[in-house]
Amino acid sequence: MLEAIQLKKTYGDYDALKGLDLKVEPGDIYCLLGANGAGKTTTINLFLNFINPTSGTAKVCGIDVTAQPLETKKLLAYIPEQVMLYGNLTALENLRYFARLGGHDYTQAEYQAFLERCGLQSGAYAQRVRQFSKGMRQKVGVAIALAKQAKALLLDEPTSGLDPKASNEFSELLIQLKGEGASILMATHDLFRAKQTGTRIGIMREGRMMQELGTEDVSHADIERIYLEHMHGDAGRYAA
Amino acid sequence: MITSIARKEFAEIVRDGRFKWTAAIMVLLLITAMMTGYQKYSASIRIQQAAQTGTNEQWLDQGDKNPHSAAHYGNYAFKPAGPLSYFDNGISNYTGTAVFMEAHKQNFAIGRPASDQSAIARFGDLSGATILQLLLPLFIIFLGFTAFSGERESGTLRQVMSMGVTNQQLLWGKALGIGVAVIIVVVPCVLIGALALSMAESIDHAEGVGTRLGLLSAAYLMYAGIFLFLTLAVSAWTKHARTTLMILVGFWAFTGFLAPKAASEISKFTEPTPAFGKWMADMRAHQIRGFDGVPPFVKFAQYTKELFKEYGVTSVGELPMYFVAVRLQKLEEYDYPVFDQHYSMIRDSYAAQRRVQDKVGIAAPTLPLRSISMALSGTDLIQHVKFMTDAETYRRNMVVKMNDYLSKASVHLNETYSSSNYMRADEEVFAIVPPFEFEPPELSAMIDEHRGNFVLLALWLAAAIGLALFAANRISLERS
Ligand SMILES: Nc1ncnc2c1ncn2[C@@H]1O[C@H](COP(=O)(O)OP(=O)(O)OP(=O)(O)O)[C@@H](O)[C@H]1O
Ligand SMILES: [Mg+2]
Repeated sequence: MLEAIQLKKTYGDYDALKGLDLKVEPGDIYCLLGANGAGKTTTINLFLNFINPTSGTAKVCGIDVTAQPLETKKLLAYIPEQVMLYGNLTALENLRYFARLGGHDYTQAEYQAFLERCGLQSGAYAQRVRQFSKGMRQKVGVAIALAKQAKALLLDEPTSGLDPKASNEFSELLIQLKGEGASILMATHDLFRAKQTGTRIGIMREGRMMQELGTEDVSHADIERIYLEHMHGDAGRYAA
Repeated sequence: MITSIARKEFAEIVRDGRFKWTAAIMVLLLITAMMTGYQKYSASIRIQQAAQTGTNEQWLDQGDKNPHSAAHYGNYAFKPAGPLSYFDNGISNYTGTAVFMEAHKQNFAIGRPASDQSAIARFGDLSGATILQLLLPLFIIFLGFTAFSGERESGTLRQVMSMGVTNQQLLWGKALGIGVAVIIVVVPCVLIGALALSMAESIDHAEGVGTRLGLLSAAYLMYAGIFLFLTLAVSAWTKHARTTLMILVGFWAFTGFLAPKAASEISKFTEPTPAFGKWMADMRAHQIRGFDGVPPFVKFAQYTKELFKEYGVTSVGELPMYFVAVRLQKLEEYDYPVFDQHYSMIRDSYAAQRRVQDKVGIAAPTLPLRSISMALSGTDLIQHVKFMTDAETYRRNMVVKMNDYLSKASVHLNETYSSSNYMRADEEVFAIVPPFEFEPPELSAMIDEHRGNFVLLALWLAAAIGLALFAANRISLERS
């Protein structure tokens, strides 16, 4: 479970996050929507303890992230927009290294199974990742997350730049993980996929949560309309 | 966990083109230096032995003559190279390798390779020690500077930091991985050097070679450790790999070039050595004036009176020993304290200079290492001073023996003392002077002398590790 309680983050005198409350239950895929600079990445960074909150609390499975960062990180898996890997190591070596950092070890066959499950072509397993395309790198990143057997996933625009097929495979994988009881928080700009894959949607603006929706309750068109309304609120403010 | 990190770090390093080139250059230079050093060493041992044997024979074969003239004919002492001089030639290029030992005079050593060389040739004299002192740190810096800042730049640091690994584990793992990469390059070269040493023809002066090698290895390991952890500290501290490299190379240039030069200038300023001409003139004047202000001839007149009284005689002819020989020996002895005082003044100033330089080691770890390395290799000032002292002791003993023989064997000449009427001695007499043998200073004394330098190295290492831990613990992704 992921939980943000009155989470605030201030950079200098700029409030990037203004008291965010958020809860992602096991079996949830919570999609964070919002314009550029709304505070989505900031929220994810706070859960990862990459940055310290100005005030408020972020909790992973009930554990305060700031108090016990190592414990909470063990429960988390993180896939950024650009998965960064070691160019001189092969896909398998990268996967093995990160799995071990996360405290796991598997057989060669198991590592290969992770990569296969993420849809990486088998010819690439033993290739150095230097020449990998963004999509291939992203798949290794997903495999790393799978190997971590995390209770909660933090995904920051993980499919941006992926081709539709890869993107679709990724969504299916998320749905499988949801079925296994993972709590998934995903920042995205893809309203279509948010509706299709997500269980809940949160719309953020300027560091605030504007509205939360269950994807069951609304149609795709509704989501787009509500989203744009919130964004227009912004435009209206500037017009006034 | 740490070994996993180390293994990845190692794999990344050895697959990098940067590693292959720098490692190849390191190996090439080290092996060349060790081999040429070894060649020079065996050649110098051969030459030294041949020269010493030659001069010993010359002494015996000098032809029949008065024993005191034989003492004037003199003898040479040749400094044997220590077993590790092939690794670190220390100051031996500047100190001289042979001393002429003759009656009445204490001489400086001659045969200083550096004075026969151009500045370029001195640089060409790249020993194993120089390479390890200067290029090894650079090698470590090149392998390690991206450890943290490079990962920060490429973005892998975020991925790593999301995994739940502690910064300390990262630090130790990286240290181990880089350390192993350095070791697989350097250690085989050093082993080849050690192997060459064990095959060396003469290891007469190999007192405690095992201990020396052990201590040398420990000192160089500590030195490498200092640079390893400093590299990691700076890499953890800085945001960009380029900045890391600039800071580290700056420090390297400081400790390897700037600090030694500065230390040498500072020490010459605070502990000045007298100018040679003035020093020589002072000593001559002191000899004539007499050590305690009583001129030698006055002293000897006094001594003659006492001698006559002691033997109850009134003329030279009644003395039971050859008076001329007694006079020669006495005049010789009046000079001892003068020589001792003036020579030790120079030596003390050199020793004091070295201690000042060692103190600069607080700011630059290359300095204490350099001192330790020379000392253990037997090419430092202490070793040279011991050689000079041995030569002087030998010289005094040689003169005493000749004068003594003369004084006993020529008693009958007392009555008819004249320059044309003297005794002739032959090889058998000259043989009472044993051949010169150099006894290197004791290892324990050497270690005592350099205790402070070992402490300095240890402190540097502790500080470097402390700094690395501190920098690693404060790694933050807050501003990236
Ligand atoms: N290190 C920083 N220093 C100063 N301001 C920052 C820093 N990091 C983020 N911000 C600011 O915080 C705000 C929120 O940024 P954040 O990255 O969370 O937005 P986002 O919702 O992820 O946007 P995007 O959709 O573009 O990824 C932005 O205005 C950004 O400029
Ligand atoms: Mg973002």
